[in-house]
Amino acid sequence: MSTLSASAKAKLITGISGFIPHTHLQGICLEEINGEELTLRLPFRNELVGNPETGTIHGGALTVLLDHTLGVASLCCDQLGTTITPTLDLRIDHLGVAPAGKDIFAVGRVYHVTRRIVFSDGFAYCESRDKPIAKATGTWVFMPELDISQILTSTDLGTQL
Amino acid sequence: MTLSQIIRQQPNATTLQRWLKKVPYAAYLGIKAEVNDNDIRFILPEDGKLIGNPTLPAIHGGVVGAFMEQAAAFHLIAKMDKPVLPTIINFSLDYLRPARLCDTYAQCTLTRQGRYIGNVSVIAWQEQYEEPTAIARAHFLIRERETISCTIESPDVPQGQ
Repeated sequence: MSTLSASAKAKLITGISGFIPHTHLQGICLEEINGEELTLRLPFRNELVGNPETGTIHGGALTVLLDHTLGVASLCCDQLGTTITPTLDLRIDHLGVAPAGKDIFAVGRVYHVTRRIVFSDGFAYCESRDKPIAKATGTWVFMPELDISQILTSTDLGTQL
Repeated sequence: MTLSQIIRQQPNATTLQRWLKKVPYAAYLGIKAEVNDNDIRFILPEDGKLIGNPTLPAIHGGVVGAFMEQAAAFHLIAKMDKPVLPTIINFSLDYLRPARLCDTYAQCTLTRQGRYIGNVSVIAWQEQYEEPTAIARAHFLIRERETISCTIESPDVPQGQ
């Protein structure tokens, strides 16, 4: 499988984040692609608050961001290319709380691939990637029939790719 | 009234709804709760904004996780002698089936409550309980001193954790 360029990966990531209604509504957007490592941003909204007394973001909003980031990290993995991978399992350790009112960033990468299973890990941070607020690890199922380039080209969004 | 004040009220269908309305993210997802005898059943009503896979269509897996995490937290609070807001430590989620675009239910078991730690398992299903959509396990930290003092009731039983 040929390696996608960073700009081709960026188009795929932006395309899929917009194609999925929930991530589109959350405003989850691409921050950076660095080789096979992906960083996405979740803009802060009051609706994402989990503790109204401190204003900190809900752990569940991080679950959505990390599930999405680690899942689409497969699109940045040169061994996998353009295939969507459904989540098999996900584990999140909450290392700290995000300061109120701040955007959250999530970093994800695939660290191992077998014929059927994709192993990914990553973390979420707020102000500095040296101070993660959550760490995540999980497995995704490789399904060659779920090729995103075919899915996206069947939509209006795909024509922009 | 603050969330901390509201959760000290006896958990029943009315107070659970008041708790859920106080958490902006739970209100955004539209989470509801029912109480039957001693069992609490949480409900995530069908809503187009929760879609993760528009082709099936299916609810975003991260949203199912967020719903289950919120259910686990409120189940734990409802079972506390002196309820306080717990802090999530970690969350482990296994996806068993796609969550179709219909109502999703969750039921929790407080597997263990020690002095500082609560262990809650969660099962989520849609049409049939026997065909779960996802299962999860969460650890929560219980910070407040008042809760610690009230849970040390039988010194013969090791509190552990």
